[in-house]
Amino acid sequence: MKDKPVKIEITDGAGIPAKNDAGLISAWWISFIGAISIITYLVVTKPDPYKDILMFVPDGILVTFQVTIFSIIGASIIGLFTGLGRISKNRFFNLIASTYVEVVRGIPLLVQLFYIYYALGRVLLVPDMLSAIIAMSVCYGAYMGEVFRAGIDSIDNGQTEAARSLGFDKNQTMFLVILPQAWRTILPPVGNEFIALLKDSSLVSILAVADILRRGREFAAESFQYFETYTMIALLYLLITLILSKGVSHMEDRLNHYDR
Amino acid sequence: MFKKIIVLLMLSMLVAVSAQAELKTNSEGMPIIKVASDCTWPPMEFINKDKQIVGFSVDLMKAAAEAGGYVVEIKNVAWDGIFAGLAAGKYDCVTSSVSINDKRKKAMDFSSPYFEVTQAVVTNKDSSAKTLADFKGEKVGAQIGTTGYFAVKKTDGVIAKSYDEVGLAMEDLYNGRLAAVVCDNPVAADFALQQAEYSKRMKIAFNVKSNVAEFYGVAIRKGNKEVLELINKGLAAVVKDGTYDKITAKWFGTAK
Repeated sequence: MKDKPVKIEITDGAGIPAKNDAGLISAWWISFIGAISIITYLVVTKPDPYKDILMFVPDGILVTFQVTIFSIIGASIIGLFTGLGRISKNRFFNLIASTYVEVVRGIPLLVQLFYIYYALGRVLLVPDMLSAIIAMSVCYGAYMGEVFRAGIDSIDNGQTEAARSLGFDKNQTMFLVILPQAWRTILPPVGNEFIALLKDSSLVSILAVADILRRGREFAAESFQYFETYTMIALLYLLITLILSKGVSHMEDRLNHYDR
Repeated sequence: MFKKIIVLLMLSMLVAVSAQAELKTNSEGMPIIKVASDCTWPPMEFINKDKQIVGFSVDLMKAAAEAGGYVVEIKNVAWDGIFAGLAAGKYDCVTSSVSINDKRKKAMDFSSPYFEVTQAVVTNKDSSAKTLADFKGEKVGAQIGTTGYFAVKKTDGVIAKSYDEVGLAMEDLYNGRLAAVVCDNPVAADFALQQAEYSKRMKIAFNVKSNVAEFYGVAIRKGNKEVLELINKGLAAVVKDGTYDKITAKWFGTAK
């Protein structure tokens, strides 16, 4: 008897509302409509300070998105090579990739940010935005490496054997046969990492990068309206991650289309 | 479910009310005032090598407590949020080089002023800037929510960068990411002149001109008369008996 494979997914990302999960879909709608209506209600009924806060943070939202998007691109590239290194039969590449994953996963992101910005600042001057992106890419690249490795592992060995017997060399097999198929397994967790990364990007505010959180803190520090400011900041983050998780869920649905 | 929520709300109100209660007393019956300081602001308040909270305002608060017949318990609290903790009743006052200004007066009460400061601009040694406006298009840093940061933000064309601690801004100036850092003059002097490594590259270029004098005061939760009176009594006593001048001489070399 063949056991049904158990799949437990634990990620830091938001819950992805899949089509067959009615509870999560309702929860998504409740949170989404709730967040929008609370923001609207607050801004309309108490424009001072809520509207002021909302007018104060938009450039912060832009910075948060910039950091997130560039970091996810960087992390995907690093992740791809790490994943390839981790399954490589070449002892040298394998060791480098594995050590990188081991070291990076063992250091908190906050410490990595401090390290790249302030500690390395003495020897190598990286602009604030770039060091935020580098730190996030390096950290998430290690996580993504594991995602890529799992995705490549999930492709049946027969595919490799078939490609090799048709005369493809090792690289052609990997890049023309295995990776295009692995993409479908890899993309959904990458979407998850994207959301997790967006949330973690709030940590870059310690580098004096003016993201949503930093802008909010500046507003609170000047007006002393801590409750109002952080309520607004929390709602904004929630709204952004909710929209993203819906996007990821759509992407998953479209990919599932091929499986039927 | 709603009952539970209501009960929770009432409980949290109870906690909030009890936080406003009277001061606790120690074994000798002296009232204890809990003080919050952001100890990243040498020489006013900072952590020394033995992990003790020391500095000018620490000595001053302790002397004032002795003269005023109360005890102070000083706690290190991060600047960002220090006033939120005061409003929430986590401590009775904030002695953290808080400059008295109108905006803050609306949110909290202040003791009588205890120290006059100006906003000093620290730059690289080779800088020839004479005013903040000379840094047009360049990045100028300061600690978040300080009068120094407000001064930078008010200057047109300068890119204001806010840091969690003034030390991090100084490090960025040293490394070359900033054109200048603005902070209170005693702190600027400590970083730019006293720290061996920093003094090689940095100088205090000028003070920000202002038509109103700027003073430090002890920030006290709005309406807390008891603490306000105790602290004012203590401060007045140490100024009168000359202890204030002794503390000034200890930390700044000269009596003011």
